[in-house]
Amino acid sequence: MLMLPELIVIAAGFIILLLDLFLAEEKKNILGTLAFAGLLIALGRTLFSFGQQGELFGGRFVVDSVAIWFKIIFLLAGMTTVALSWDRLTGKTTDIASRMKHRGEFYTILLFSTAGMMYLISSRDLVTLYISLELSTIPLFVLVAWDRDNPLCGEAGLKYVILGALSSAVLLYGLGILYGLSGSTDLATISQKITHSPALWLSVAMITAGIGFKLTLVPFHMWAADVYQGAPTPVTAHLSVASKAAGMAFIFLLFYRVLGGAFQEWNILFAVLATITMTLGNLVAIIQQNIKRFMAFSAISQAGYLIMGFLGPFPEGLPSMLFYLYAYIFTNLVVFAVIIFYANETGRENIDDYRGLSRTNPIIAGAMMLGLFSLAGIPPLSGFVGKFFLFSVASKAGFHWLVGVAAINSTISLYYYLRIVRQMYIEPTMEDATTLQISPMLAGTIAITTLGAVFFGIIPFFYETINQTVAASDWWSVITATAR
Amino acid sequence: MIPTQHVLILSAVLFTTGVLGVMLRRNVIVIFMSIELMLNAVNLSFVAFARALDSMTGIIFIFFIIVVAAAEAVVGLSIILSIYRNQKTLNVDEFNWLKW
Repeated sequence: MLMLPELIVIAAGFIILLLDLFLAEEKKNILGTLAFAGLLIALGRTLFSFGQQGELFGGRFVVDSVAIWFKIIFLLAGMTTVALSWDRLTGKTTDIASRMKHRGEFYTILLFSTAGMMYLISSRDLVTLYISLELSTIPLFVLVAWDRDNPLCGEAGLKYVILGALSSAVLLYGLGILYGLSGSTDLATISQKITHSPALWLSVAMITAGIGFKLTLVPFHMWAADVYQGAPTPVTAHLSVASKAAGMAFIFLLFYRVLGGAFQEWNILFAVLATITMTLGNLVAIIQQNIKRFMAFSAISQAGYLIMGFLGPFPEGLPSMLFYLYAYIFTNLVVFAVIIFYANETGRENIDDYRGLSRTNPIIAGAMMLGLFSLAGIPPLSGFVGKFFLFSVASKAGFHWLVGVAAINSTISLYYYLRIVRQMYIEPTMEDATTLQISPMLAGTIAITTLGAVFFGIIPFFYETINQTVAASDWWSVITATAR
Repeated sequence: MIPTQHVLILSAVLFTTGVLGVMLRRNVIVIFMSIELMLNAVNLSFVAFARALDSMTGIIFIFFIIVVAAAEAVVGLSIILSIYRNQKTLNVDEFNWLKW
């Protein structure tokens, strides 16, 4: 039953879709519980299958430890999104404009997208890879455009769907060339058959462009700020973690598995992309006023750090990248949980609006500060440890200049993250400010994600576990064979 | 029999036409048509490769691409519809509330 987690998620999606038709409006709270329970059971089943390896459908669906680590990320992101959207979908927010409708469909679409991401990392064939990528992306178009009465939301959805379809067409053209060069859609066969040729470079360029869109790598990042700002905030949170992790999974499959044989040359491509991505993301984030736009550029610069894990043909790259991904999703979700809490209660989304939060809600402001510090990479929080591993990968691959650039960028990012901390702790309180009531759902989310962001950095065993389990998978032998 | 290169060149030309259409046209529906054109250009290149390589997988891939293109069109057109209800326009230059 290797595919059980995916099947559970899909079954939960369909059950919710059907129940939504029959349930009376006041009983629909159970739909959210069902969505959460479905994801939780799938997560339990995924954790339980650690150490198992196996394949289905003639090797087109493979479960190994790398796949399991990624699936845990997708499931955690899905569960957090259910929790974050709870108050908005049940209409419990003080700010009426931020309430969302149609919760049955919302959960269904969210679960389908999660299932698509889980299939993505298990695919070993261009066809299944492409289908699962689209299964994860197309539901996200719908989620972004969720609030159809809000023109900002519609515009964000329109921009996302046009640029998303464009990027997937470009990606598909690259995959087509790959198929033409190797005569097969099986990833293992392709990796044996490809040789250096201009057509391969064209294919790599198109695949990078297509997947750079999902990962918000500069220069394919233009959609991010608009979509992040326009989308409902829980969806923005989901986009910033799950969609990015799916992009990393796709890059891992194509660049590590398929092009691993000729990996040395891609290093410089990733180094340049990482440099421009983190620099531009950081510089533009400094001048942002809207906090969701600000988080968009912060996420862009984080993507720049993340792809540093793909430098070098040695085994440390992937565990470092996975560890940073975990640190990043927990940290980012802390910040988004606080943003959602504040918007739910006041409807405010500007950085200036956070002034004096430390005096009205000191614990929440403290959680936000921890999250922002972890994103900036301040020890001993998980963001610092993650960056440490990633930078050491870059330096081991011989990119010392990139480590320098990344260190400077971390310093710049500290400046703009501190802008929010300054608003919360130093600026005077707003005139009408009172202590805001936090709902139990959001309070729990903030508590759990904050604990994650803090303890991932302090407990060393987590990185060790990733390293050991990943080393046991078949991916390891591919890389070590290349390095020799 | 038409040489494979000719089909691939046609596919590249169609793809480029689609990209230019997305960048230059201002009506959302036409932009969506251009994206469909790009996907069909990819289908053409898959057909050409499948014939040259004498393999069936390329042909099977195309069926999936057609399905995905249809799903994408459904989502895209419904978003366009909901935007049109609000704004009564389909000109992309007027969708500019989100900016720096």
